[in-house]
Amino acid sequence: MKRLLANRERRFNLLLTLIILALSALFVLPLYWTTVFATRSLAEVFQFPPPLFYGDNIFQNFENIAGVYPPFRPIINSLAVAIPKTILLVFVSALAGYGLSRYTRAPGHKTLLLVSFATLFFPPSLALIPFFLQMSWIGWLNTYWPLILPAAASGFGVVWMYTYIGSTVPRELYEAAEMDGAKGIATFFFVVVPIIRPGLAALAVWTLVETWNEFQLPLVILGASEKFTVPLALTSLSTTHYSDMPAVMLATLMGLVPVFILFSLLSRQFIAGLTSGAVK
Amino acid sequence: MSDRASIAANIKRNSALYICVAPFLVLFALFSIFPVFFSAYLGFNHWDGFGEPVFVGLENYSRALGDPIFRKALGNTIFLWFWSTALTVGLALTLAVLVDSYVVFGRNYFRMVFLLPLLVAPSIAAIILRMFFTSNGGLVNLMTGAVTGTPSYFDWLGSEFWIKPLVVLLVIWRWTGWHMIIFLAGLQSIPRDIYEAARMDGVGRWAIFSRITVPLLIPSLAFSVITATLGGVQMFDEPFVLTQGTGGTNNSATTLGMYLYATAFSQFNFGLGAAVSWYIFAGVVTLTLIYQAALRRSRMGAQ
Repeated sequence: MKRLLANRERRFNLLLTLIILALSALFVLPLYWTTVFATRSLAEVFQFPPPLFYGDNIFQNFENIAGVYPPFRPIINSLAVAIPKTILLVFVSALAGYGLSRYTRAPGHKTLLLVSFATLFFPPSLALIPFFLQMSWIGWLNTYWPLILPAAASGFGVVWMYTYIGSTVPRELYEAAEMDGAKGIATFFFVVVPIIRPGLAALAVWTLVETWNEFQLPLVILGASEKFTVPLALTSLSTTHYSDMPAVMLATLMGLVPVFILFSLLSRQFIAGLTSGAVK
Repeated sequence: MSDRASIAANIKRNSALYICVAPFLVLFALFSIFPVFFSAYLGFNHWDGFGEPVFVGLENYSRALGDPIFRKALGNTIFLWFWSTALTVGLALTLAVLVDSYVVFGRNYFRMVFLLPLLVAPSIAAIILRMFFTSNGGLVNLMTGAVTGTPSYFDWLGSEFWIKPLVVLLVIWRWTGWHMIIFLAGLQSIPRDIYEAARMDGVGRWAIFSRITVPLLIPSLAFSVITATLGGVQMFDEPFVLTQGTGGTNNSATTLGMYLYATAFSQFNFGLGAAVSWYIFAGVVTLTLIYQAALRRSRMGAQ
């Protein structure tokens, strides 16, 4: 009787697993189809049944898309925004997180910590219009500065680095560094940074992906199409009624490749980045 | 030593804190706090960005409320926020529980695969979804055409009814994996022996899920629902790209975020836009407070 039950349970679990497997296939399907379409010709795409496997039209599609759209420029633009912003954000966040987690007895520490946590609830839509006006006064419209410098102050990054440093760097290390005569900032660079490297990597991956995918702010800030980042360039390409679907899908695919390479290299850090925000 | 001297000494000893936090605080004050105050000022003024702002009191706020498109956008936003949050969180929770304790193979694969759509920008995901649902030659119409035998040219993206569910579908597709990871992390913090003890006592699967798993997952659930709500109430990218910036037939998918964008950046009515952003903010605050009250009640119930 007991064995029969266990058998039934095993079969039930196997069935569940297969259902989830099918669901996961459904989640991947749009991406898979994007890559299939990118390698097919326009005529093949409109056939029924639609092509299920890769074709050999990718070079023709590339030629077609290169005729109406600079295929590499948006990628270079996105990198020009995402890399400096990420470096700056990680640096600013780690430094603040270090200060907050080490100097807990400093006057005003509690207030500073509270302010940092409060920034997490800051709604970006509230600042959109005044930020745009502010940028136009400074003369930064249609430049990458508004996407890089202001975004480096991230409440999420600071709170995360604060908790991460608090849980990975033992306090005795600070005492030892102090006895050696190391100043606070020097301790950060030479003692703390080497220890928290995995945390820095996780925050960096997460920031890179977020920045790569950002749409609304670049839409407001960037007017000239030669400055467009990947999401903007692809969106404007798809609204021009350019009807060569495989060529558009190839451009889309090219815009996705950098993020997917990054993810395949650093997926562990990426997932660590997701869960670190969760309340423990 | 006097008190003041000791405080001064304390500040001096800890001065590194202020240096460390300064870059963050200065950037944040300049580019986030200042804009918020400026936005409050804008909300009470009529301004097109060129002449002098004219003080109009609460007119922007009442004008928004009187605009049928604003009210429609409000309704759309509530619909999109509610359904995208409920369905995404529900699906992710189910998947997380199943992957955590029922799945017989591929646990690591399942952890990864649902995350892949999150890497695709919302705007790009909308482009891909458009490819599936365009009226002429879209995959969905090809399929239905093949099944029914007559070619189908149904305009999903132009349909007032279907455009909102498509936006919800897009959110589910992108975000399920993220919520699932949050829940999996929460599930792993539940001690296994609680389950074993319950199973020994003959507690059924559903009772284990509803009486043990869910109550112990409440911190993760709260985090996930609040995050989904912050995104849902401010939703912009998905409906904007899916409707190519039009908001759909008769504004059937215009959200408050899109309304704000249109007033400010197409009509250059910055005052009205600022007022709308304060309505959005009020929505976020209200929902967060409601969640917190619910959270407190559920904690008291658990004790």
